[in-house]
Amino acid sequence: MTDMAASIDPSPTDWNGEAMRRRIRRRYAAERRFKLLGLAAILVSAGFLAFLLVTMFSNGISGFARSEVRLDVDFPRSSLFLDPAALEGFGADQALAGADFPEALNEAAQAQYGDSGRSLFSEGAWIGLRDAVRDDPSLLGRRATLWLPASTAIDIAAKGEGEAEAERLKARLAEAGRVRTGINWTFLRGSDSTDPSAVGIWGAFKGSLLTMIVTLLIAFPIGVLSAVYLEEYAPRNRWTDMIEVSINNLAAVPSIIFGLLGLAIFLNVMHLPRSAPLVGGLTLALMTMPVIVIAGRNAIKSVPPSIRDAALGIGASRIQVVFHHVLPLALPGILTGTIIGMARALGETAPLLMIGMRAFVAAPPGGFADPASVLPVQIFLWSDEVSRGFVEKTSAAIIVLLVFLLAMNGLAIYLRNKFERRW
Amino acid sequence: MKKSLMTLVAATLALAACGPGPTGGGGGEAASRQQIRIVGSSTVYPFSRAVAERFAQANPGFAAPIVESTGTGGGMNLFCGGVGAQYPDVSNASRRIKASEIELCNRNGVNQVIELPVGIDGLALIESATRSTGFQLTERDVYAALAANPFGRAQTARTWRDVNPALPAVAIRVYGPPPTSGTRDSFAELILDRGCNSDPAMQALKESDEDRHKHVCTQIREDGAYIEAGENDNLLVQRVSENEGAVGVLGYSFLEENASRVRGIPIGGVTPTAETISNFTYPGARKLYIYVKGEHLNVIPGLREFLRAWAQGWAPGGYLSQHGLIPLPDAERQAAEATVQNPTPITAANLQ
Repeated sequence: MTDMAASIDPSPTDWNGEAMRRRIRRRYAAERRFKLLGLAAILVSAGFLAFLLVTMFSNGISGFARSEVRLDVDFPRSSLFLDPAALEGFGADQALAGADFPEALNEAAQAQYGDSGRSLFSEGAWIGLRDAVRDDPSLLGRRATLWLPASTAIDIAAKGEGEAEAERLKARLAEAGRVRTGINWTFLRGSDSTDPSAVGIWGAFKGSLLTMIVTLLIAFPIGVLSAVYLEEYAPRNRWTDMIEVSINNLAAVPSIIFGLLGLAIFLNVMHLPRSAPLVGGLTLALMTMPVIVIAGRNAIKSVPPSIRDAALGIGASRIQVVFHHVLPLALPGILTGTIIGMARALGETAPLLMIGMRAFVAAPPGGFADPASVLPVQIFLWSDEVSRGFVEKTSAAIIVLLVFLLAMNGLAIYLRNKFERRW
Repeated sequence: MKKSLMTLVAATLALAACGPGPTGGGGGEAASRQQIRIVGSSTVYPFSRAVAERFAQANPGFAAPIVESTGTGGGMNLFCGGVGAQYPDVSNASRRIKASEIELCNRNGVNQVIELPVGIDGLALIESATRSTGFQLTERDVYAALAANPFGRAQTARTWRDVNPALPAVAIRVYGPPPTSGTRDSFAELILDRGCNSDPAMQALKESDEDRHKHVCTQIREDGAYIEAGENDNLLVQRVSENEGAVGVLGYSFLEENASRVRGIPIGGVTPTAETISNFTYPGARKLYIYVKGEHLNVIPGLREFLRAWAQGWAPGGYLSQHGLIPLPDAERQAAEATVQNPTPITAANLQ
């Protein structure tokens, strides 16, 4: 008895004692350290994001602008042998293709700017000349002032980071009011090209759009129906367990494997066209589907059983329960999962390389079976270009991709809020 | 809201039902093709792309060709897959077709392989222009500095002086292409192999044990002195231009584009220029080829015109020279132009 009394201190806790204070201080310090650690983690990730956005925007924003140099063309005296009448109606394209616009540009540039005049203009500047004549054949009968895209060196100088010689040239042009910088509509409307002043993102954008449509149309219904069946109808046994494990594994398979699968099935067995958004979409659908199934099952699981029971209780059939009650309530979760899967598919390059989408496609795809490129592949291709003009175009293309992603996420948030129900 | 959801689901399902529609149509689409399909070497890719663009601009009646960069070997595999719309019409190559590849073509029914040499691509060794060390190398120096087992002995060189007492005592640091690159193949073939064969013992080894010779002569060291720079040649130029004493290995067109940042290193006293490469005095020069499927010439619209677009581009002063392609000597170029006018297939026997 006396032993026990000795081991337990009967006096009340001494909150002001030295030992106690030290322990309390240590607890508070641990608390503060943990809070700071968490804050530091947030700051690091926010810092990376800010760094990414700032570099992309500062490099890329100039990709949306284009410098143009003024050119006075004296059409009647140029070497263009073109009859304005031939440019009306059928055969206009052939007539234009037959005329030597590059030479006409050469002459006009040399007449106005001296022997090295041609080097002020981009390689594809003659296309601007051709388009001007096509839009207004009456130009052929008079002198006209045109603004044509500047060469890469002048363009970079006009945006303030050029080499010394180009800077001097540009300063001389600017003094005479012969250079201007404006929005680069070609970049927004055109397709891939070898000339950085003539490249456009529209071809790749449309390719991405078509690919995503195919992916959504295949992956969403199949994914949602699988999720509904597995949650609402499937009996619990070894088979469904195996299917569940397989789906979870499928969601974790590296994307390049899906590329090989697409190559083997869609190209080698089914003989679908190479490089087509159709095949790209099918391949990416394989990759996106398991993500949708998993997200869908979780969303359906989180619908309270009481709602199902109540509906069944008043005589609803199983299909009515699913379509009237469970799916509407689970939809916000399913949509979030779908968008995450689609966003991953949108940024995917590896599987598309296997099915031939790493290609130079100079025209936007007309349909699902036409050859196309997609945004991430286009970024990959441009980042590997020799010409310095492609550096800003690469960043500009990344901005377009990010905006596309933001738009998709925005749509998801809108739909989620629209269908969200609380209970 | 319930109704709107039902329409949404119904619409999605209806669209999904249509989804396989184009799938079925796709098979039929493959039976005929409007646009030319080109595959092959990543070295020829920029030139091929420029020709495709020129061709599309000059011939608005034909669809723009599709150029895919698959590497020379991968391109040949696709090209030789057979005759028909799902197989490419043209294969680009940074080396000559192999007899085994022609046999593969013939087995799959491709009997008319038309060969066109299109120009010369130079391989260049570069160093920083602003922080130049003033390298003067020979093939032998490069080989001895970079081989895993130079002349069959263990690699001990740390600085360039260890290799050749006339060279500066700068640590060996060479940025170059990875083994998957065609440029690496050319580097091994054009520079390393020749440097290796400067030793008579190695030439003797080639006679006796070809595999061992290949291993000794083209295997590159893996202890960090040779840095694989990936396929991104722009990055390589940047690295080299910022590091004193660093050497880069890359295609000549990149040197020409970045002449303000890097300078070409003379090999055996010959500086890489357009002239020394076109007359093959600079060792790092190789011929580029395209191979055309004769069976497709009259089937795929525009294929003949596409070849004419090549012929316009490869002439001296043609538009391809702006992209860094160096024209062939006159006689070979005229022979190639004759082939464009009158395509004649080659056989395995033509390859010697």
